[in-house]
Amino acid sequence: MTEAARPDRPRRARRGVIRLASETGEGLRIALSALVSNTLRSLLTTLGIVIGVMTVIAIVAIIDGLNQSFATQMGGLGAHTLYVSKWKWIMSGNDWWEQRNRKDMGRAEFEAVSREATLATAVAPFVSLDATLTSGQAELTRVRVRGTNQDYEVANGVTVAAGRFLSPPDVELSRSVMVLGPNLSDKLFPGLPAAEVVGRRLRVMGRPFTVIGVQTRRGRLMGLDLDSEATLPWTTFLRDMGAKRTISLAVTSEPGQGQALEDQLIGILRRVRRVPPGKPDDFSVNRQEQLQRLYHQLTGALYGVAIGVGLITLLVGGIGIMNIMLVSVTERTREIGVRRALGARRRTILLQFLVESSLVSMLGGAVGTALGFLVAWLLALTTPLAAAVTPGAVGLGLGFSAAVGLLFGSWPAWRAANLDPVEALRYE
Amino acid sequence: MSGPLISIDRLTRHYVVGGETVRALDGVSFDIGQGEWVAIVGQSGSGKSTLMNLLGCLDTATSGTYRLNGADVETLSDDALADLRNREIGFVFQTFQLLPRATALANVELPLVYRGLPRRERRALAETALRQVGLANRMHHRPNELSGGQRQRVAIARALVGDPSILLADEPTGNLDSQTGEEIVRLFGELHARGHTLILVTHEPRLAARCPRAIKLMDGRILGDGPGAEVAALQATRAVGT
Ligand SMILES: Nc1ncnc2c1ncn2[C@@H]1O[C@H](COP(=O)(O)OP(=O)(O)OP(=O)(O)O)[C@@H](O)[C@H]1O
Ligand SMILES: [Mg+2]
Repeated sequence: MTEAARPDRPRRARRGVIRLASETGEGLRIALSALVSNTLRSLLTTLGIVIGVMTVIAIVAIIDGLNQSFATQMGGLGAHTLYVSKWKWIMSGNDWWEQRNRKDMGRAEFEAVSREATLATAVAPFVSLDATLTSGQAELTRVRVRGTNQDYEVANGVTVAAGRFLSPPDVELSRSVMVLGPNLSDKLFPGLPAAEVVGRRLRVMGRPFTVIGVQTRRGRLMGLDLDSEATLPWTTFLRDMGAKRTISLAVTSEPGQGQALEDQLIGILRRVRRVPPGKPDDFSVNRQEQLQRLYHQLTGALYGVAIGVGLITLLVGGIGIMNIMLVSVTERTREIGVRRALGARRRTILLQFLVESSLVSMLGGAVGTALGFLVAWLLALTTPLAAAVTPGAVGLGLGFSAAVGLLFGSWPAWRAANLDPVEALRYE
Repeated sequence: MSGPLISIDRLTRHYVVGGETVRALDGVSFDIGQGEWVAIVGQSGSGKSTLMNLLGCLDTATSGTYRLNGADVETLSDDALADLRNREIGFVFQTFQLLPRATALANVELPLVYRGLPRRERRALAETALRQVGLANRMHHRPNELSGGQRQRVAIARALVGDPSILLADEPTGNLDSQTGEEIVRLFGELHARGHTLILVTHEPRLAARCPRAIKLMDGRILGDGPGAEVAALQATRAVGT
């Protein structure tokens, strides 16, 4: 017995492999022909899956898009920069009312910090408002105009594509010069390359300015267009656009010195602003990390929504798949009987129906993935949101739907596999 | 391999319906040798199909033994029974039972798929089988593009393709007109002449009379077992008697 079995084993193993392969192939073929002959039914069945996967993919694409632009931005901004302001970036409850009553920040704070913050490597004041810009060719309303100094370049990670950034003399002499974001340059001087925009003149609130530089393109940050900013010396800003505005400070330290710098800044500011001991600070030291944390909370919530909506619709879709597979098993009861009579094992039948249900489901998943990206793309076109197609999201869509097909197809497939061959053959 | 191909001993099959036991088969014993052509006859409800399902390993007996090719069928697992059907049994059904969406060729290939033969080998064997039943030029037709007789030929080719020990046919001419039925019977005659073992269920005495051997059932028991003409006549005299 064992003697005879030994030489037989590789052959039997090979047969087993061929058998499994040809049965899977047969299962695929059957599933495809069943799909083709019931195209409309298959489409309706998978509608739940389509909608579920579409929702998940659209949300994931938007999150991926946000992630990409956020990462670009965060990379561009100085990670070690502290932002001192009257306002706290992330407010909660009635913070706003409390902060509104805080004293404005002004020259005194800037000068004190510049003089005394020994740990600071750059100190940039900044103050901004929305104004109208006009060139010979175009007028742009509601442009973000920012006053700052030469240190802003370092502290905020700004670089110029043409010309130069603000210099110390620009600030000291309150020159009427301006650095433009690339979008502004494109709109105010259509068709001109950045290098030729340098030296051109434009007007802000009626006052003449000379363009000294054009920034490199940075993209969007959480819906904020970072390429549409106009930058001028803060001294000029305060002179021409009102001295009564509160300023903020961007202060940079060496890596690893952030906390020490923060402590130093708090000390200086409390003294300059005369905060009595025991009273809370009447200013805020903000960090990018806080933005990052807020951002992660936001995307985390979005992910939660995606998962919730996805699970519910996939459940509905899965029940649809289960229903149609039960119908399919009933319709093909005699076929199952024939296959069993011809030598199909139970697991062969099981495999056949599992292949079919996951194929139906993946079809829905593929359509849903495509529609999801379409929706995300349309959203990106019409809103400030970004969208990105990542291989991970495609895999997620297809994998998820295949899993749903397998899960919800297993009960009908199990029923098919356990039909009694005699009963099945007799079924009318 | 000595001994008969099929050997059944006191085989019974009971169904319990609504608390009552139906003795569809009630102690049936016989042997069938290699190369025999046996008709199973009997009135409607006498247990012919029940017997065929047992012989075809589609169903298991309530009691008794069934030895096929020396193997004890009663002891086999579900998978082993499936493999046994695949290798040893060729089924021909009254209603053809072809897969509607598959071509004749694909239908005939099916048993070989479950045997794990490579595609090319399957093709070649299926084509040979279809040629044997005279359908060389209908290989790529679907069942609904074939006549009743042609469909039954495809079914016979499918039963033959795996070179099984036994061909089991339950009323193979029941859905055919008499002339087409005659063609099919002639085809069975040829297969018998080539050495195949055939068991066919029929209620037509004329067909039973042409088989070398017939077994007549009545209420789940054997009424007669002998040369086809005699058993068919037995049927005739009883029919006269009642
Ligand atoms: N699944 C079942 N459940 C209950 N009773 C059954 C079942 N199958 C068959 N029977 C009973 O067993 C008996 C024999 O049935 P069987 O189908 O073997 O008859 P038959 O000889 O093939 O008849 P026919 O010539 O009409 O096909 C009948 O009385 C039938 O009612
Ligand atoms: Mg019957």
